[in-house]
Amino acid sequence: MKKNKFTLLIIGVVTITGFWISWVSYNPADEKAMATFISVNELINNNISKRIKLGGLVKDGSIAISEANQLDCNFILKEGSSELYVKYDKTRPDLFKNGAEVIVAGRYTDGVFYADELQTKCASRYEGDLRNESSYNLIEVGQ
Amino acid sequence: MTPVAGSVSLSLALGFGLIAVLTLFIYTKNQDQRLFFVGQRLALGVSFFVFLATFILSYQLMISNFDIDYVARYTSIETPTIYKISALWAGQSGSLLFWLFILSIFSTITILQNQQKHYSLIPWVIISLTITQIFFLILTNYVTNPFKPTEADFIVANGNGLNPLLQNITMAIHPPTLYLGYVGFSVPFAFAISALINRDTSPLWIQSIRRWTLVAWLFLSMGIILGGWWAYQELGWGGYWAWDPVENASLMPWLTATAFIHSIIIQEKKDMLRLWNMVLIILTFALCIFGTFLTRSGVMSSVHSFTESSLGPIFLSFVFFILIASFGIMYSRLDDLKSPKKIESFTSRESGFLFNNMIFVVLCFAVFWGTLFPVISEAVRGYKITVGAPFFNQINTPIGLILLGLTGIGPLLAWRRTGTKNLIRKFTLPIIICFISIILFLLIGYKGYVVISFSLCIFVTTAILSEFYLGIRVRKNKFDESLHNALINMISKNRSRYGGYIVHLGIVFMFVGFTGHAFDREKEFSLQIGQVEHLAGYEFELLDLSESERPNHYAWISKIKVTDYQGQFITNLYPEKRVYFHNNPDVNRRQPHSELDIYSTLNKDIYSIFSSIDNQKQIAFLKIMINPLVRWVWIGGYILVFGTLIALWPRKEE
Amino acid sequence: MDILRDYGLIFISFVLSIIYVIEPLFMSKLVDTYDSENHKSLNRKKIMLYRQVKELEMEFDIGNINNKDFTKMRIELKKEVSAIIAQLKLK
Repeated sequence: MKKNKFTLLIIGVVTITGFWISWVSYNPADEKAMATFISVNELINNNISKRIKLGGLVKDGSIAISEANQLDCNFILKEGSSELYVKYDKTRPDLFKNGAEVIVAGRYTDGVFYADELQTKCASRYEGDLRNESSYNLIEVGQ
Repeated sequence: MTPVAGSVSLSLALGFGLIAVLTLFIYTKNQDQRLFFVGQRLALGVSFFVFLATFILSYQLMISNFDIDYVARYTSIETPTIYKISALWAGQSGSLLFWLFILSIFSTITILQNQQKHYSLIPWVIISLTITQIFFLILTNYVTNPFKPTEADFIVANGNGLNPLLQNITMAIHPPTLYLGYVGFSVPFAFAISALINRDTSPLWIQSIRRWTLVAWLFLSMGIILGGWWAYQELGWGGYWAWDPVENASLMPWLTATAFIHSIIIQEKKDMLRLWNMVLIILTFALCIFGTFLTRSGVMSSVHSFTESSLGPIFLSFVFFILIASFGIMYSRLDDLKSPKKIESFTSRESGFLFNNMIFVVLCFAVFWGTLFPVISEAVRGYKITVGAPFFNQINTPIGLILLGLTGIGPLLAWRRTGTKNLIRKFTLPIIICFISIILFLLIGYKGYVVISFSLCIFVTTAILSEFYLGIRVRKNKFDESLHNALINMISKNRSRYGGYIVHLGIVFMFVGFTGHAFDREKEFSLQIGQVEHLAGYEFELLDLSESERPNHYAWISKIKVTDYQGQFITNLYPEKRVYFHNNPDVNRRQPHSELDIYSTLNKDIYSIFSSIDNQKQIAFLKIMINPLVRWVWIGGYILVFGTLIALWPRKEE
Repeated sequence: MDILRDYGLIFISFVLSIIYVIEPLFMSKLVDTYDSENHKSLNRKKIMLYRQVKELEMEFDIGNINNKDFTKMRIELKKEVSAIIAQLKLK
């Protein structure tokens, strides 16, 4: 008898949890809760308008900081052979520079990606510089 | 010692491990005592060779032997000694060896501690621990060997060195603290599996692992809090928890472990919730391995991610092996896990613990769901949908608040059944004070979750304090002790209980800190010397801009005067913009870094970031954040540690 | 030379550990340890139960248990303790 009460309770909790999680998954309250992670190529070809997350490298020499407001910045995001013009106007992370590996989130309008989030990969302490896998900061001492 | 000795040690350890497991397994079948001792000694041998290998690697790091790839990657001649030591766990292969090292210490202690007890359980405990060691030995022998020689056809004179940005104490302590937690749960898991296999249903083994579990939990808690603290102080985004996959990887086992710690109290006292406890410890251990996997295999692209390697599939296989084997054994022993006693009423403390278990598991699942959402969505829809902090916050806040409420309600419930009389006696005061708080907060103008959270914090505090009060009063009446003595003696005679209440108090403090987020303010702006900006009633004036060339970096230092809305001086802030390797001719190797300055008080933190500088025009670009109540999180952390230490304090009889 | 020394040390460690491991095989059949285990675990159980009785009394004083349940649980615990003491007397 008592066992049924508690089994019911567990079923109840599981059901409520299921509903709650599904509900938030389908309509999160905050726009920044979710972003679809796709490739730059896909974005440009399909002109997707919902909130997107992209990853790639900062193209060398493409960082342009506005004279008037140093927070305003444009750069070109390069993924493979695809390139994308990105605008970002918040404080830039310390590791943001030419060739840095970045992840941006935001929306794509009229050929420009307006990013509201910009992340760089954590300082490469753990596995060496990701782009210089087998390089050491070495001083050659002859053969 | 040459690195070859290290490699050979690891191979010997693996060999000993395999034979140990085989020997002990045969012993469990034929009960030949001699085989038990052989197997036990083999297991000790495994640990011995692991210690040897670890010592060798540490030594190589200290003497800067750059012939070893690992030493060349993570240290240089200039690296300060303490970071040469911590380099042991800096890289993937080293950290896996370090995991193995800690596991071997724990295994040795367990074996030696139990030489006079648990004879029937110990063989399978050792088998379980040794299998785990074997897994990590396979990794360090064949997949990612810390003794791999440097691949260079010239003599390496100096190594990469550790990035100066990462040379701070917290970054050195955070990984080992977490590992002590992760590894620590292998022992309770081993005992649980062993008890399951041996059909041992007595609660004696639970009593033995109680201490292990609490210590592992303590380290895991400290590791998580340290990680948050470091993120807040160093990373400069103004927060301490981002629901990053790696952060979540440490939180999930913490949730199931916390449920387990509570739930085994019931099994020890009332022999109930056996099935729950088995499930919880299996999940906890599996999540610890899974957490190590998420951190070390780079499988989720996160701020912490590392290079992808073949580590992933092997780790995942081990996690699956643990789950399938453990749940398989559990299924075959399902009858043993049926408790003789039943929960009698919803208003009993037993049912409170049951609710507690459920909520923790639900929370763990919610975090798991969010963390794996990108993987699930890719499998289901074909593209990855990533979820960010707002997603987790939305799902978890109500669940967390329910948990908070339960923290207050649970201890007030009686065993078996709380009669109406006791319900009124215990709950009246906390509920009244809670209602008064709700009204007060609403009047102040707070809304929604803030009101609920603060009111629940007050509810729980009242409940805890009233339990302390009642306990003291009983002692004063019975033994005529002074208030001071009554308090000390009461806690001393019931260390788990009152230690636990203090931990709960710490959690309440942390929730107060979490709730402060609702009032976060931030602003980004530029200032020239003499100019001012305002935020949240504070005035910020740039007083000075200076530069300084330092040993390993160049710095621009700003001096910002902060005054309140009445014109009262609050403090000066000195955030800096630094460039490390500033003399490097390759512009891309120079590393900028914003050194924050934080003014911290009990009711708010003023967090300042010097983002960039226009040197010619002498304009500083700043970001100011007002983060209320953050300090309460750290204070709560200290209280949590203090409470756990009380619960752990050894009794004279033991 | 370094390598020779290292191999030497490893070899010695290996030999010593093999000796350590094999030694038990030469023991004669050991004293039956299960009896003493039972005795020890019964003792531990007894101590645990005593502690539980004390806690029960404390909880009752604070008001976490009502009268009826308290008496019932106390009797149950005391019964268990008596059973164990009886078992211990047999040893």
